[in-house]
Amino acid sequence: MQDVSDHGEDPRQRTRNLRTGLILAVVALTFFVGFIARRFFQ
Amino acid sequence: MEAVHGHDHGHDHHGPTGIMKYLTTTNHKDIGSMYLWFSFAMFLLGGVMALVIRAELFQPGLQIVNPEFFNAMTTYHGLIMVFGAIMPAFVGFANWLIPMQIGAPDMAFPRMNNWSFWLLPPAALLLVLAQFVPGGPAGVGWTLYPPLTIQQGMSMDLTIFAVHILGMSSIMGSINIVTTILNMRAPGMTLMRMPLFCWTWLITAYLLIAVMPVLAGAVTMLLTDRHFGTHFFNPAGGGDPVLFQHIFWFFGHPEVYIIAIPAFGVISQVIPAFARKPLFGYSSMVYATASIAILSFLVWAHHMYTVGLPVQAQLYFMFATMLIAVPTGVKVFNWVATMWKGSMTFETPMLFAIGFLFLFTLGGFTGLVLSITPVDVQLHDTYYVVAHFHYVMVAGALFSAFAGIYFWLPKWIGKMYDETLGKWHFWLSFIFFNVTFFVQHFLGLAGMPRRIPDYSLQFADFNALSSIGAFGFGLSQLLFLYIILKAIRSGEKAPQKPWEGADSIEWTMLPTPAPYHSFEKPPVIK
Repeated sequence: MQDVSDHGEDPRQRTRNLRTGLILAVVALTFFVGFIARRFFQ
Repeated sequence: MEAVHGHDHGHDHHGPTGIMKYLTTTNHKDIGSMYLWFSFAMFLLGGVMALVIRAELFQPGLQIVNPEFFNAMTTYHGLIMVFGAIMPAFVGFANWLIPMQIGAPDMAFPRMNNWSFWLLPPAALLLVLAQFVPGGPAGVGWTLYPPLTIQQGMSMDLTIFAVHILGMSSIMGSINIVTTILNMRAPGMTLMRMPLFCWTWLITAYLLIAVMPVLAGAVTMLLTDRHFGTHFFNPAGGGDPVLFQHIFWFFGHPEVYIIAIPAFGVISQVIPAFARKPLFGYSSMVYATASIAILSFLVWAHHMYTVGLPVQAQLYFMFATMLIAVPTGVKVFNWVATMWKGSMTFETPMLFAIGFLFLFTLGGFTGLVLSITPVDVQLHDTYYVVAHFHYVMVAGALFSAFAGIYFWLPKWIGKMYDETLGKWHFWLSFIFFNVTFFVQHFLGLAGMPRRIPDYSLQFADFNALSSIGAFGFGLSQLLFLYIILKAIRSGEKAPQKPWEGADSIEWTMLPTPAPYHSFEKPPVIK
């Protein structure tokens, strides 16, 4: 990890965090939509 | 470990003050405190609802509230305690402790962290407003089973919307926690060196990301059944109410562990500190926690033995549920082994941790009893179940939260609480908790059903005792509030490390109280 503080973020750290966060958000959204869609089209 | 920490930059923290500070803050400590205060407010609100229930049940017959309102109280007591009190309390711990325990400056997404918190008050407001809308509050139980939920009035819509918002908050909080732990650990802080509290939250956050969308999906389908002409669960249109139960408990059983696993994390920090020994079997604790989380996905239908499952399914769910006792037993064994031949002292956090150990184990044991299908068919929806899950939720999660608050309060505010009053709080809570809930096992075994405001005369004595215990337990929590306020206003200055055996980096590398910005430069963990 680079030198990080509340006053200035390391861009590489920020990109890594965004990537991880987005993957997790997509997983959560997939569960949500997938669950309803599966039942709806059953 | 090399003692490197950031300086206290509280003096250069220029920003809004007053209410705007709390509305706009992105600091993990501010947000952690807000979560903890919010959860305590919800704990009092849910507690008042519990007292309405116990007041009505003090004597047989209908005395204080009508049956519809009684049902509403059981519904909102459950929803508020689970989603408003216990879960936010442990998210508060996560916010305060995870960055400090892994050597990070803050959470990975500080702005989303702020939003995660500020979604909670509107959701709580919706649950409160649901009490006052035309048609009255929904009396459906926290499990929200259709077709009853499809027949309720407007309060059901507010409740569904509240569950949506609470779910969004939990999912965002979980994404933040996973990202923080995976990406922001200090150099040398490998996953297997993390304090166990961080491990338990990492596993819990994955559980939340997996199951909260399922709950959101279930209540969305309820909403469309109510207003948009679908028939997912409505038998009148060819839907299947049992389908809802499957979906709900696919969320609901992991939810039990979402509450319990962070509690395990707190206990795993407190017991070694007061036994003055490292945690026994650290890696087995990690694997046991992960095993419990995985198994929690595979046992949901043990809540539904009475819906008419095939015998093979009943057998599978019975044995799978019993299997959870193995990793849970590993954890209990490790906590006891940590204390074995330790140089123990019994300050308030340790008392609550040992109280947790006794009572949670008892709650786990009655869970094992309920996992046996033919037994559960007898005990389903009786007070035995109510006693069981209150041993897990109250003596498990709540006692653990108290242990954690007393343990970390000196680090958070730099002041000590009153030890004598803390011990009073523990003993009053311990005794009144058992007076309230132990007798409910007997009521359940004798066949008293839950969620009914009246009962036959044979149950009168135990119910009176249980109600006395509940009021005593409720009043004891006002003592807790007094202890915390007294510590904040006039507590003695806390030493750098008030607990001799505490060895995680928030104690060894940060001053007490913790500075506003924890680690501006990452510490090096050797």
